[in-house]
Amino acid sequence: MASNRVLVVGGGLAGLSATMKLAELGIPVDLLSLTPVKRSHSVCAQGGINSVNDQTRQQGDSEWNHFDDTIYGGDFLQNQPPVKEMAYWAPKVIDLMDRLGVTFNRTPEGFIDRRRFGGTLYKRTAFAGATTGQQLLYALDEQVRRHEAAGLVKKYEFWDFLGPILDDGGRCVGAVAQDMVSMQIRSFPADAVVVATGGCGLIYGRSTMSVFCTGSAASRCFQAGAKYGNGEFIQVHPTAIPGADKLRLMSESARGEGGRVWVPRKPNDTRPPKSIPESERYYFLEERFPKYGNLVPRDIATREIFNICVNEGLSVDPNRMCVYLDLTHISRAELDRKLGGILEIYEKFQGVDPREEPMKIFPAVHYSMGGLWVDYEANSEGGLVPGSPRNQCTSIPGLYAIGECDYQYHGANRLGANSLLSCIFSGLFIGPGIVNWIKSNKASADLPKSVFERAVGVEEARHKKLLSNTSGGENPYLIHQELGDIMTRSATVVRYNDQLTDAYSKVTQMAEQARRCSLADTGNWTNQNVIFTKALQDMFPVAECILKGALMRDESRGAHYKPDFSMPSLTSTDPTARHREAEQWCDAFDENNRKFLKSSVCTWKGNEPDLKFEDIDTRLLPPRPRLYGLVGAEVIEQVWKERAEAKAREKASAPKELVGSA
Amino acid sequence: MIASGPEADQKRRPSKINVRVLRQDGPGLPPYWERHQVDYEPDMNVISVLQKIAAQAKTSEGKSVTPVAWDCGCLEEVCGSCTMVINGRVRQSCSALVDRLFEDNPEEIELQPMTKFPVVRDLVIDRSRLFHSLKRVQAWVPVDGYYDMGAGPRISREAQEQNYPLSQCMSCGCCLEACPQFNKVELQRNPGESDEDFTKRKEAAYESEFIGAHAISQAMLFNSHPVAKSLEKERMETITSTGGIQACGNAQNCVAVCPKEIPLTTSIARAGRAATVYAFKKIFDR
Amino acid sequence: MTETPRAEPTGSFFQRNEFLIRRLHSLSGLVPVGAYMCVHLLTNASLSSGPEVFQNAVFAIHSIPFLPVVEWAFIFLPIIFHAVAGIWIARSGHSNVGRYRYASNRRYTWQRITGYIAFVFIFTHVFHLHGWFHADWWLKSVAEPIGMAQFRPYNAASSLAQAMGSLSIVWPIFYVIGVLACTFHLANGIWTAGITWGLWITPAAQRRASYACTAFGVLLSLAGLSSVVAVTRTDAAAAKEIEDQMYNVRVQGRMIQPDDHKRTDGHMNEHPKGPEPIIPQANAVGL
Ligand SMILES: Cc1cc2nc3c(=O)[nH]c(=O)nc-3n(C[C@H](O)[C@H](O)[C@H](O)COP(=O)(O)OP(=O)(O)OC[C@H]3O[C@@H](n4cnc5c(N)ncnc54)[C@H](O)[C@@H]3O)c2cc1C
Ligand code: HEM
Ligand code: HEM
Ligand code: SF4
Ligand code: F3S
Ligand code: FES
Repeated sequence: MASNRVLVVGGGLAGLSATMKLAELGIPVDLLSLTPVKRSHSVCAQGGINSVNDQTRQQGDSEWNHFDDTIYGGDFLQNQPPVKEMAYWAPKVIDLMDRLGVTFNRTPEGFIDRRRFGGTLYKRTAFAGATTGQQLLYALDEQVRRHEAAGLVKKYEFWDFLGPILDDGGRCVGAVAQDMVSMQIRSFPADAVVVATGGCGLIYGRSTMSVFCTGSAASRCFQAGAKYGNGEFIQVHPTAIPGADKLRLMSESARGEGGRVWVPRKPNDTRPPKSIPESERYYFLEERFPKYGNLVPRDIATREIFNICVNEGLSVDPNRMCVYLDLTHISRAELDRKLGGILEIYEKFQGVDPREEPMKIFPAVHYSMGGLWVDYEANSEGGLVPGSPRNQCTSIPGLYAIGECDYQYHGANRLGANSLLSCIFSGLFIGPGIVNWIKSNKASADLPKSVFERAVGVEEARHKKLLSNTSGGENPYLIHQELGDIMTRSATVVRYNDQLTDAYSKVTQMAEQARRCSLADTGNWTNQNVIFTKALQDMFPVAECILKGALMRDESRGAHYKPDFSMPSLTSTDPTARHREAEQWCDAFDENNRKFLKSSVCTWKGNEPDLKFEDIDTRLLPPRPRLYGLVGAEVIEQVWKERAEAKAREKASAPKELVGSA
Repeated sequence: MIASGPEADQKRRPSKINVRVLRQDGPGLPPYWERHQVDYEPDMNVISVLQKIAAQAKTSEGKSVTPVAWDCGCLEEVCGSCTMVINGRVRQSCSALVDRLFEDNPEEIELQPMTKFPVVRDLVIDRSRLFHSLKRVQAWVPVDGYYDMGAGPRISREAQEQNYPLSQCMSCGCCLEACPQFNKVELQRNPGESDEDFTKRKEAAYESEFIGAHAISQAMLFNSHPVAKSLEKERMETITSTGGIQACGNAQNCVAVCPKEIPLTTSIARAGRAATVYAFKKIFDR
Repeated sequence: MTETPRAEPTGSFFQRNEFLIRRLHSLSGLVPVGAYMCVHLLTNASLSSGPEVFQNAVFAIHSIPFLPVVEWAFIFLPIIFHAVAGIWIARSGHSNVGRYRYASNRRYTWQRITGYIAFVFIFTHVFHLHGWFHADWWLKSVAEPIGMAQFRPYNAASSLAQAMGSLSIVWPIFYVIGVLACTFHLANGIWTAGITWGLWITPAAQRRASYACTAFGVLLSLAGLSSVVAVTRTDAAAAKEIEDQMYNVRVQGRMIQPDDHKRTDGHMNEHPKGPEPIIPQANAVGL
């Protein structure tokens, strides 16, 4: 298949692993990225990557448990087969990374060391200091460079993906992209296009993400007809360092290594933190979630911190909201060995040594669970069919999405250290499927040139129009700032319908405004102004998906929290009354799932997204209340358990059904 | 997100920041200085200053100009994009905090593109040579393939602790900018020359020049990996050929400016030792 | 998969053999040039103990057979090679101490500056005292008329003192600068050579090595300076008497061949008439 090529857009962990796998399978790849792939946002990932391992196995862990934790952590919003496949692949992924030379931390005997991460009780997370993403990305970058040197991969760095090219039958046969240096726009014919373009944090103005994470590429696919799923699920990470240009992450690994979150029990306590005695410290996560402690999932930790500061008035700083994240009880040597990278970031940007002084942290927008809707083909065991061209395929045939820009793996809330896994897994897994897709289709190189010329023409027209729009008067940078403010205010930790309605109408108005941007730079050489403005314009469709999804989802689930539509907490103290309340609670829980245990899936209607709820494949694990051992909620768990046992008994006595009838 | 930036430092601060930028409209065009002024805010870094410059697109004399072009990514000093010369010293602009710069020079911040790489525009430079060096030293583990073959070789904690710092190199180029032995290579595209031909010509030019401290360090990193070692001979061949280790003059600026504090001079000395052994082997082991 | 094929090295001879040349350059700086300089400065320092001691040392050196060949093979050619390659190397870098004021960067720059100084110094110095070529026409019609080739090995201290004093304090200053430049260059050169060859690797080892090299450099420069001081303090006339005495004793004791070229007196005559050779010429006995 000499004339076959695949275009991979994005060179983060997902894009690079797809590229190297395809190259291994002998397929020439064009790899296109906004930035040299080694600088992709994945480089920021700090904490680690999850998999079951020999040690946890002997403590009773298994791939199934990893799968269960991921689904439970994601509040059951995932289609289960891809997640199961990922959990079962995870140990192999770590092994491969190990072989590629990733400098994972080692135990004294030389095995890969592990740390604990949020949402699990096992030490599953492999890590390389506190720069795991960097180390993984570099290992993949090196492999891709190896294939590049051998001539199988061709890199196009500093290129902006402008959109997929569809043939008359609606199949993706390539893409249009623009050289950010010469501003040349050209087409890239390809037999399959893989978008691996990461998250969309920039829609919120400031987040923990890189400036490349505009979501523009996913938006361009969305506007070309690909569906967008679960947009409203935006992870707000509990621990970040607020900054003027960026909110820098303080990785969950800080808590994984024993970091403790606390505030003084007394409001406005002005004493220096180290002089406050233990008894006057409120370790609120540990007290409320004794089982998981500081390692409850992120959505929960975030809401608790938010609540402590906003509702209980216990912020440790009178001028802004923040709580202490304390590592000072751990030895310096150990901190440097395991967390050096992130402590340096804190030190560099805050001027305070976190080994001596507790850090001041607050939640920040961090990750997008939602993304391009993708398909899968399940096998009889509830995993995936390897080599199926349907896996990771968007609603446009031939257009694939992997990594943070797909919606597949993390449901309503991503567990820490699962994203790096999903990126690498999906990148590797997709290879054989694409080969099979290519085999069964006409090569794009044989298509009439006009298909490609037309697509380039459209983009050239858009580009020219922007450059010549001198009378519009709108400043793209100011619009971006305002968009960020609106999104941050209305669609982060706590969401209210009136605010969302308001934000939605403002954002649709601003999308219009953004079309009238006039540029300070109208030249055709490294014009960052026009690249940014295009990205800004394309943020709006995704922003609208987020807001619309948040508005329509009248419940609380994972990262999406609406106090007006939350499950009531138990109020009675009398045991029988409380038991009854718990029964009611469980009924309400079932009822809510019937309505909202569904993916929100948007299609672009030219100027607005159209949202539909789509059923979720829960073939392996029935949903259950997600309480993480919350103090005071034990009775709910007990009631639920009783019900589940009753159901199981019922099932056992009923005639056996065929399993795996998917 | 919801948080506002950290509270204003109570110390007296200017209300304006003067910035002097060395601009250049394109490769081969003459560079020129331009003054900008932006409002001071607490906790700014050079990136946020440049963001403001881009948004206002006016010099301090009030002349409308195109926004200054620059590169950035992670904003937390791990991606290596934003390297430039700030007040005469090469560093990352994202970690260049304005308050800190003011301690040295409260009058002005001076921004300049790196001088050892061809300017693309303003502060954006072309570092393809740096990445090409990584190809020259074959900085990768030549695994059989990506199928599941079980775990990698057992690595001692000691080896990990030696290699981890080296593998943190983010290809930012500081070590090359500050190295007196690393000289600029800039070629102009010939009329009618294709991308491929131009790239080939550039790579040939790169190969006759110093590979740089970062690449030497990567070579040492991979030479000490149990599997990547299999390419040791090839790497040593590069290290001892044109532009190899011998081009280093032990100025040791590289290690002093490396933002990741990579022990580059240790790597260089290790490479020196390895080159000594390799050269003797090459003569006598034939 | 195949790994990257290596392109054949191209470029100038220097570029193609860069590694070898740089290693030879480093080696030549250490031995023979560096080693020679140590011996040389220590020999010169013996002048502090009086002209006799110095003269003895010079006699010892001049008893080396085929001295001109040895000089060219082990001293001049290596220095010329080191100097030429050194200048080529120095020109390949662009010092930036203005921007990066680190100690090691300063040393890098001074290595080059002292290299250039050494270049000027050694070439002038050898011309001044040795004259470069010992062909008569060169000495008589070029070197000596302009005040060069002033050293007389068999009148070592006195001719040296006169040569040094011939331009008031210009020569002593020139020598002080030359000695300091050369000793810095050697001491720092040993330190960099240790990295070049991979002797000291870790920062701690390099720090220790730099202490050792500093101590070495200080001692060597003291030795060098002491000889300059000793030269300026030498009473040429008194020294000459002693030297002539020593010469006669040796000639009579058949320890050396009489050689007027190497003496102040004999040298002044158009046709030197020393005592008849006591030891027969080598060819005279058919060797
Ligand atoms: C600070 C931080 C720490 C994290 N830590 C962890 C962790 O410890 N563990 C974990 O599992 N997860 C972590 N995550 C999440 C994880 O890092 C990301 O989800 C993951 O790296 C995404 O990888 P990706 O390959 O999908 O995309 P990215 O790495 O974001 O790569 C996107 C690629 O697409 C390219 N691109 C984007 N738009 C365009 C366009 N328009 N045209 C052309 N190219 C384009 C970019 O240039 C880039 O190459 C962290 C995230 C952050 C923000
Ligand atoms: C203290 C200062 C010095 C004094 C007094 C001094 C003295 C002399 C004398 C007397 C000679 C002549 C020897 C001869 O012709 O036989 C000589 C030669 C020479 N000196 Fe120096 N010297 C000094 C420093 C140096 C230094 C620093 C160097 C650097 C390497 C140097 C290199 C040489 C060389 C290469 C020769 C020629 C060698 C030869 O004749 O065999 N000298 N020096
Ligand atoms: C004559 C003029 C000289 C010039 C122009 C010169 C130049 C240089 C230069 C530029 C270097 C640096 C090479 C590098 O770092 O890669 C160097 C190194 C060195 N020089 Fe010289 N030099 C001269 C004379 C000398 C002399 C007289 C000595 C001995 C006393 C000497 C000993 C050394 C040593 C030991 C090194 C270290 C080599 C290394 O780092 O591997 N040089 N010289
Ligand atoms: S070695 Fe250091 S200075 Fe050099 S490129 Fe790498 S990180 Fe940057
Ligand atoms: S600065 Fe340059 S000269 Fe060598 S020691 Fe570092 S590479
Ligand atoms: S922006 Fe990534 S290093 Fe500065």
